Amino acid sequence: MADDASTTSPQVAPAVTEAKLAPGPVDPVLAAIDPDRGRPADAVVTRGLTLRFGEKTILSSIDMQFARGSITALIGPTGSGKSTFLRTLNRMNDKVQGFRYEGDVLLDGASIWTPGLDLLNLRRRVGMLFQRPNPFPMSIRDNVVAGVKAHRIAKGKQLDVVAEQRLREVGLWDSVKDRLGDSPFRLSGGQQQLLCLARALAVGPEVLLLDEPTSSLDPISTEYVEALLRQLAPALTLIVVTHNLAQARRVSHHTMFFYDGHLVEHGPTDDLFERPKDPQTERYVTGRIG
Amino acid sequence: MTTAEGAAGDLPAAPDAARAAHRSPAIRRMAGALRAGETGAWRWSARVAVVLPTAALAFCVAVLAVKAAPAIGVNGLGFFTHSAYKIGSAYAPTVYTNGIAHPKGSAYGVLALIVGTLQSSVIALVVALPVSLGCAFALTERLPRWVSRPLGFAIELLAGIPSVVLGLWGVLTFGPILANNVYPAIARHMPNVPVLDWFRGTPGRGEGLLTGGLVLSLMIVPIITATTADLFRQVPPLPKEGAEALGMTDWEVAHRVTIPWVRAGIIGATALGLGRALGETIVLAMTTGSINRIAPNIFGSMSTFAAEIVTQLSSSLTDATGFAVATLAEMALVLAVISVLVNLVARWIVTRTSRLGGPVGSGV
Repeated sequence: MADDASTTSPQVAPAVTEAKLAPGPVDPVLAAIDPDRGRPADAVVTRGLTLRFGEKTILSSIDMQFARGSITALIGPTGSGKSTFLRTLNRMNDKVQGFRYEGDVLLDGASIWTPGLDLLNLRRRVGMLFQRPNPFPMSIRDNVVAGVKAHRIAKGKQLDVVAEQRLREVGLWDSVKDRLGDSPFRLSGGQQQLLCLARALAVGPEVLLLDEPTSSLDPISTEYVEALLRQLAPALTLIVVTHNLAQARRVSHHTMFFYDGHLVEHGPTDDLFERPKDPQTERYVTGRIG
Repeated sequence: MTTAEGAAGDLPAAPDAARAAHRSPAIRRMAGALRAGETGAWRWSARVAVVLPTAALAFCVAVLAVKAAPAIGVNGLGFFTHSAYKIGSAYAPTVYTNGIAHPKGSAYGVLALIVGTLQSSVIALVVALPVSLGCAFALTERLPRWVSRPLGFAIELLAGIPSVVLGLWGVLTFGPILANNVYPAIARHMPNVPVLDWFRGTPGRGEGLLTGGLVLSLMIVPIITATTADLFRQVPPLPKEGAEALGMTDWEVAHRVTIPWVRAGIIGATALGLGRALGETIVLAMTTGSINRIAPNIFGSMSTFAAEIVTQLSSSLTDATGFAVATLAEMALVLAVISVLVNLVARWIVTRTSRLGGPVGSGV
C-alpha cells in the first residue's frame, strides 16, 4: 500500500485565492508563478506563547518557527501540553471555558488573534485532522466537499470534480468511486481517516494540524498515511502531534519535545533523536521516561 | 456431600459458594429452591408483561369495532365524504336501515373532522418543530449549565400542565389577544394568491383553527424539546469539532452535522408529538369553536375528531336507539386508524433517512 502511495504522486492544488491571503501588495503574475513569493519563510511563528486553563498553566512561553513546507513532529508524554498547543494554532481552544493565552501566534506574519479577523477563513487556512476519523453523517462525496460548500469555493458540477480530485489525492478514489453516495461509516477506519484528510485538503489549507492522526489505525494504514504526509509536505506546512516516536523519526523534518508544559528541546529530527542536548529529551527518546 | 462443597473441591471457591458452605443444609436447600423458583417467576412475569399491552390494545380495538359495527354498515362510505352530526328526531318513529334501528333524520359525516384533525396537527407541528429544535440546540450547545438546567426543567414542567388549563387560557386569554392584535393584520396583508389567500378573510374572535393549532403546539414543544435535547447530547464531540475546524459556522455545524447525526431520532420525536397532537381533545374542544365543518380560512372555527367525540358524547347518550353512540365508536376507530397510519409513515421515513445518519444513537 505504501508503494501505491509513492507511485501515485498526489498533486496538491494551491489554495484557492492564495494571492489574496498574502499580506501586503502582491504582484498577481509573480504570485501565480510562485505562490509563496513575498511571504515569510516561516508559515507559523509563536512568540512567547503561554496557555492557561483557569489558573493552571498548560504551556509556558513557547517561541517556535514552523518553516513553510516542513513537517514538524510534536512529541512528549500525555499531559505535556502538545495537543493544547496544536489546538491553539487554529483557535479551537477559544471556546474552552477558562482558556487564556499570552504571547502571540503569527500566521504568515499576522496574528491569528487580530481583532476582526475572519475566524472561519483562519480555519480554512489552518486545517485539522483528528485522533480518530470523524466523518460527517452524509454521503462520502458530500463529506469531501462539505467544507468547500461551506466556504463557497465551488458549486454545482465543480463539486464532483473537487471530490474526485481530492479522493484521488489521498488514494481513496478507486475504492469508493462506485459508492460515492453511500454512508462513510461503512468504510474501514483507515479509509475513514483518509476521507477526513481529503475533506481537510479540499478547502485548500496552507497549514495542516494533525492530532495523533494514526493512533487509531492499523500498521498498514499508518504506513500509508505517513507516506501521504511526506508527499503533501512541500505544498503544505504540517504539524503532527504523535506518541509514536518511530513515526516522528520517519515522517518529520523537525521535532519539538514537550515535557511538563515546557518546550524542552527542538531541532532537526535526526539531531534531536541521535544527539539530544537535554538529558530529559535523551531519557524520553530512549524510552526511559514517558 | 453437597454440590457447593463438591464445586469448591475442584475449583477455587467462588465467594458465593464459600459463603453458602457455612450455612446449614436446610437453609441451603431452601435458598436453592427459591432461586429455581425465581427463574420461573421471572419468566412468567416477563411473559405477562409482554402480552399485557398488546392484549389491552387488541381488547380496546375489538370493543370499539363491536360497538361501531351497527354504525359502520348504515353510515357506509358516505361517512367520509361529507360533514354532519345529526342525531335525528327523538319523537318520530324509529327507522330501520338494513335492520339497524336509528332515529328518523339521523345523518353523520366526518370529512371535516378528518381535515380538521390533520390541519390542526400540521399547524402545531410546523410551529413546534423549529421552536423545539432551537430550544434543544440552545439548551445543549449554547447556554451555560446554570441557565440551561433550570430552563430545561421549566420546559419539562410545561409538559405536565393539564391540558384543560392550557385550553382555558387559550380560549379566555390567548385567543382574544391574537384575534384583537395579530389576526387582523395578517388577514389584511396576506396577498390574494393561492395558498396564502387561506390566511385572508374574517379574522374571527379567536376561537378557531389557528388558535387551536398554536395552543396545541405549546403542548408538544416540551415533548419534542426534551427528546431532541437528549439526542443532541448523544452526538459525539469529534464530528462537531471536525466541522468547526473546517471553518463552519455554528449554524452549519448544527444543520450539517448535529441534526443529521440524530435525524432518525428527531423524526421519531416528531411522530411522538404528532401522535399527541392528533389525539389531543380538550384543548381543541375549547379553542377551535367546535363546529363540525371545514374552516373557511385559517382563523375560522372548526373541530377535530377527539374534540367532536367529547363535545357530542352527552347529547349522543340521549339517542334511545344507541345509534349515535355507535357512530362515536366508529369515529374513535377512524381516529385510531389515522394515528396508526401516521406512525407507520413516520417509521417508514425513519428507515429511509437513517441510511446516512450517525453510526450510533439513530435508532430511536
